[in-house]
Amino acid sequence: MSAEGLLARRSLTRNRVRFAVSVGGVALALSLTLALDAIYAGVANQLTTYVDRAGADVWVAQAGVRNLHMVASWLPASVTERVRAVPGVAEATPILYSTDTISAGDERGVAYVIGLPADETMGGPWDVVQGSARVGRGEIIVDQGFARKAGVSIGDTVTVLGGQARIVGLSQGTASLVNSVAFVSFDDFQAVRGGAPVVSFVLVKVATTTSPEAVAAAIGGLVPDVTVQTGTDFSAQERRLVMDMSADVISIMNAVGFVVGLAVVALTVYVATLARRREYGVLKALGARNGLLYRVVLAQSFLSVAAGFLVGLAFTSLLAFVVPRVGLNLELSISAASLIKVGLFAAIIAGLASILPVRQVSSVDPAVVFRRGAAV
Amino acid sequence: MTTLTLDVREVSKRFGEGETAVEAVSGVSLAVEPGEVVLIMGPSGSGKTTLLSMMGALLRPTGGTIHLDGTEIGALSESRLPDIRLRQFGFIFQDFNLLSALSVLENVAIVAELAGVGSRSARDKAGALLTELGLGERLDFLPEKLSGGEKQRVAIARALINNPALILADEPTANLDSKIGHEIMRLLRGIAKEQGRSVVIVSHDQRIRDIADRVLWLEDGAFRDVVTMATDPVCEMAVERERAVSAERDAETYFFCSRGCRDEFLTSLSDGVMSQTAS
Repeated sequence: MSAEGLLARRSLTRNRVRFAVSVGGVALALSLTLALDAIYAGVANQLTTYVDRAGADVWVAQAGVRNLHMVASWLPASVTERVRAVPGVAEATPILYSTDTISAGDERGVAYVIGLPADETMGGPWDVVQGSARVGRGEIIVDQGFARKAGVSIGDTVTVLGGQARIVGLSQGTASLVNSVAFVSFDDFQAVRGGAPVVSFVLVKVATTTSPEAVAAAIGGLVPDVTVQTGTDFSAQERRLVMDMSADVISIMNAVGFVVGLAVVALTVYVATLARRREYGVLKALGARNGLLYRVVLAQSFLSVAAGFLVGLAFTSLLAFVVPRVGLNLELSISAASLIKVGLFAAIIAGLASILPVRQVSSVDPAVVFRRGAAV
Repeated sequence: MTTLTLDVREVSKRFGEGETAVEAVSGVSLAVEPGEVVLIMGPSGSGKTTLLSMMGALLRPTGGTIHLDGTEIGALSESRLPDIRLRQFGFIFQDFNLLSALSVLENVAIVAELAGVGSRSARDKAGALLTELGLGERLDFLPEKLSGGEKQRVAIARALINNPALILADEPTANLDSKIGHEIMRLLRGIAKEQGRSVVIVSHDQRIRDIADRVLWLEDGAFRDVVTMATDPVCEMAVERERAVSAERDAETYFFCSRGCRDEFLTSLSDGVMSQTAS
């Protein structure tokens, strides 16, 4: 280990309480940012689960509609046949979609309600843990988490879209912190809408000989007044919407985490430097250059922040493991982008936190060694 | 080892300006030869530490010159001084000034590392030196676990690790009891004589006069008295040449603590030409 590395490590760990407070403070500050990023990424994952798992290569929506969350999309029912006629389309399934409230007794939950045709090949539940995976008239498949909270099971009825529906299946992986996904029959949904010959989206599976991009472009060229996106683009659009909605909150919490982290590290390194001011003077008297002493201070700062970052990451990973297992419909997803961002935060904190201590060190007079003091 | 002399000529140091200016050192000259032990004594505030700081390149004089091996250190740029301090001087302090977070071995090795020695070699060298000074069992101890004498021996090892030609010691016995203080001073004298290093000591401690080759009395920033020490060949006691009983034989002068020792010396030599210049 280099001289500066040794000095930095020993200076930090000599006072273990101070080091623990510093690392803990940094860990907490960085965890704020890391956990919040992970929560929003998790929510985005959950909100795009239906889009990701619906099985469609291409999504056809009303002109101007580019995502699922908080929108309404209405297309003439005839669009489905026109889409089927486009070269490269292997299958096309129309679905009806609305955000509604499902209630059972006193329990109410927001849900994406999907109306599925009887012969659907896409857009249905992908993981039914109990009961049927297909819905007929007067039937519904709900998320098992909602069923558990509401105290209902197969055969019980819930209120949805202003009417009653009997639970025929329980699915999993279809709930998020915000809402769940419920599946009803296309005909029931259409009846609630007054029987109007409309669909919300047309889900398309493309032939193996072509690509989703090519088919999306072909549909866009041949079917008027629609917005066509590949499944990947549709999902990305949905994710972007969630992140845009939460951008301000994330920015504020990032700023709070940054300032807290900076304050903790700056104070710790400053106090550690002040406490060893005389020893820096001794090192100068013995021939150490200012540059080496600056590196010692910087190394202390970076070591504190690196340790804090690792502890913060471990804490956030623990949260990500525990939270989904305690019944919360919350997923924490730690992304590489978030790690890079928080890592950069940490590096900037370490650099800024060193400025004051470095000034302290530069002003130490080596002749301090001849002044009587409480030296070892 | 490089043989070099510290040559201090008419050095002065003034602090402050105008009416509030204080001249801490005033026109001091001193030449230190290789292997010589020089003790600078004087009352508090006499300028001893200021003079030592200037000799150690920690403070620039306001007048005069300080030459180290022919190089005027006062004229060197600030950027060159750390290297001079690192390689040419060994410092020993009253308060020991060991680095509290480092072990005994690391306290010594790190100074070698600062001079560019690799980590492994520096530790080997420091370990050997500390063992030589009787601290082989204390290598992994923190300074706070050591006695005062042990701390000062660590400081001596640290001062020696880069083979300096000149050792500057500031009140090295002040925090030690009489016995340990004397042991430390004998150790320093041994280093000077056996290794040819020059040692300049600043101290109030009258008990260590006998280990010095020269004792200088500094008062009000200037040398007032110079005492050259010698060893009585009969009883081996340290004596001041200027105040001792002396005798000459074969053109060489001998100094004694008393007439009794001188007479015993002369009686034991039945032949040769002798003369006495008793004072």
